[in-house]
Amino acid sequence: MANLAQLDLRAKGRETRIRALLEDLVQAHIGVRPQYRMALAVWFDISPDGDDQFLLELMTGAPFDTDAQDRLPLLWQTGSEGSPYARVRVTSVDHFTSLLRTDPDQVAPYRRSYEVLYFDKKLLTPEVIEFFKIITEPPGLVKGWYLSESQYQMSNNIQGLLTRLGSARPEVGLVKTDESSDFANCRGLLHVEVSGKWLPLSPEGIRSYTFYNDWQSGVRVHFLFEGGSLYQVLKFEVKTEPEYVGRLLGRTPDDRYPEVYLRAVHAPA
Amino acid sequence: MTDTLKSICEQCTHLLDPQFEFIPSELQRHKEIILRDIGEIVSAAAAGQEKTVTVLAGGIFESVLYSFIQGQIEYIAVRRGGSFTFDPDGNLDNYISIFNRWFSEVFTIPDIVVQYRNFVHINQELQYPSDTCQIAAPEMLRLLDALLGKLTEYAKS
Repeated sequence: MANLAQLDLRAKGRETRIRALLEDLVQAHIGVRPQYRMALAVWFDISPDGDDQFLLELMTGAPFDTDAQDRLPLLWQTGSEGSPYARVRVTSVDHFTSLLRTDPDQVAPYRRSYEVLYFDKKLLTPEVIEFFKIITEPPGLVKGWYLSESQYQMSNNIQGLLTRLGSARPEVGLVKTDESSDFANCRGLLHVEVSGKWLPLSPEGIRSYTFYNDWQSGVRVHFLFEGGSLYQVLKFEVKTEPEYVGRLLGRTPDDRYPEVYLRAVHAPA
Repeated sequence: MTDTLKSICEQCTHLLDPQFEFIPSELQRHKEIILRDIGEIVSAAAAGQEKTVTVLAGGIFESVLYSFIQGQIEYIAVRRGGSFTFDPDGNLDNYISIFNRWFSEVFTIPDIVVQYRNFVHINQELQYPSDTCQIAAPEMLRLLDALLGKLTEYAKS
């Protein structure tokens, strides 16, 4: 581990400042053309000491199907026309996706020492997400919905439930930590989406959620997951598990997690 | 037996007795607006008005963050290496992303808050099952109460 004397704080500070200036530029671009939406902004070929910084912006919409390039002063907010500059390449998600398929050499430079500054997962293709290694969920996460008791009772079959809930964005995620060999029982960590990333709930955080409070009030609580798994909550148990951190995108401050115990059930006939 | 919206609200101590140390003292009008809206959400919760609570809670989230972030401009600027410009024309989504980025040690606001607040648009609510407000309203109340509590603690620390 580097000691303090080895850290180049000046370089670190410059990188932080350049990143902030690029983020401001991206934010300014997000609102410029309301009919087209920003899907991704990537700082690439990173070299904070250089006069030119390189930014790739992917937008939705056909007018961006060619590579446009601008050189903009990063200190525009102060009225300065001087360095550092951002060389901004703008293209569409569709165009970039087709380049990934047909001409990988052309897009390779974008992944040279890069950092994703902004993304809107809903507007990106799986290929772009994969190319830039945008990780928004931990391995094995299944997404789903809390079913209130009345929703559960109204359901005749899983397909009907999926149809009813399928258009709603999933509100909970589950990373299983253990599962019985017959798949009838499992336990795991519940997640929620925070700024586009699926993060585990903490023992304190879970208290705000209706499913947890309903369960505490003695109501039967069910989760339906994409793919059709339907589970009933058996119990919650808070555990301290520092080793979970490698499996998750975030950690709770003290590595304590409310683990949920689930049992697979059928929809009421 | 689940709690009623009224009983849930009665347990929300920070909503019932809001402290605004986390809002700069010069933003008096902001405090008045938030206080008025909190009064209205408490009344709506007492009357069991789930849709009103869901949507108004989203509005209060936005007001609280809009005011809080303005008081933290210098702090955020230092963390960003020198500058931070507050955008007064932003929306709930923007303010939540700023908050989650710089204050996640204080509290994290889940994306579901924006989705539920968007029930103000019928095309958004139609994507969810008919009784979703029954789930959303208590959740929004509890999340808002937790946020107010954490911001009050933060301001005192």
